[in-house]
Amino acid sequence: MKPFRAKGAELVARLEPAEAGIVGLLLDQLEQLLDADADDVGGDPVIARLLPDGHRSDPELAADYRELTESSLRAGKADDLATVRASLPRGGGEVRLDVEQAGAWLRTSNDLRLALGTRLDITEDSEPPEEIVDETDQQLAVYYWLTALQGSLVDALVAGRAGRR
Amino acid sequence: MAGPLAPERTPDTTTDEHADVDRPWVTIVWNDPVNLMTYVTFVLQELFGYDEPTATTLMLQVHEEGKAIVSSGPRERMEHDTSRLHAYGLWASYQRDS
Repeated sequence: MKPFRAKGAELVARLEPAEAGIVGLLLDQLEQLLDADADDVGGDPVIARLLPDGHRSDPELAADYRELTESSLRAGKADDLATVRASLPRGGGEVRLDVEQAGAWLRTSNDLRLALGTRLDITEDSEPPEEIVDETDQQLAVYYWLTALQGSLVDALVAGRAGRR
Repeated sequence: MAGPLAPERTPDTTTDEHADVDRPWVTIVWNDPVNLMTYVTFVLQELFGYDEPTATTLMLQVHEEGKAIVSSGPRERMEHDTSRLHAYGLWASYQRDS
């Protein structure tokens, strides 16, 4: 990976073919989870993290909030996912984003990190795996790779914003 | 749970907050181990128009104290702010100011 950097008004990165393939797979998995029947994934901690309660102690207010906001929250996630998929070079290569597309990448890569982080029980003391011996190490490595990708996009957007002033 | 095709509805405002209009509602961001500190600062600037030092102070408060109030006002606006933060994956909720 060549991390994101600001290039004029655009944000540019380069992904290896394997990296682009992993992002594509993760997008498919996120979409399946968000499209799944609420009866099947209602108790899933990842769904609970991606679509959290709006109110913590009053179930009635939390239900009101859900009724009011959940469909638009889901629609926003679906739009972002479609934007990322359309701007992802499936076989690897350059990713070139305008600021609006970058917002979609920012939110979707964060959702992927939240999903993986929840599955992997990430804490503030978690660290990248020193060597990869099992599937958990692999997923941890993907998590930290996504962290680096998203971090570079945040930094590039901040740098671009300073440049536009 | 509302399905994706559920109609948009305005909130029911007939609950008891009219008896207690002086206490505003607040939107809170809670600490979580996944969201990057730079990302939280960026999102607070984007959504609320905070300057960088203000957004950084709030982010550090979330990180060090576990939570921070990021906006306050009428309930409907706090619901809206919470949903905008949820769209960015921040761990947010709203409540009456305590």
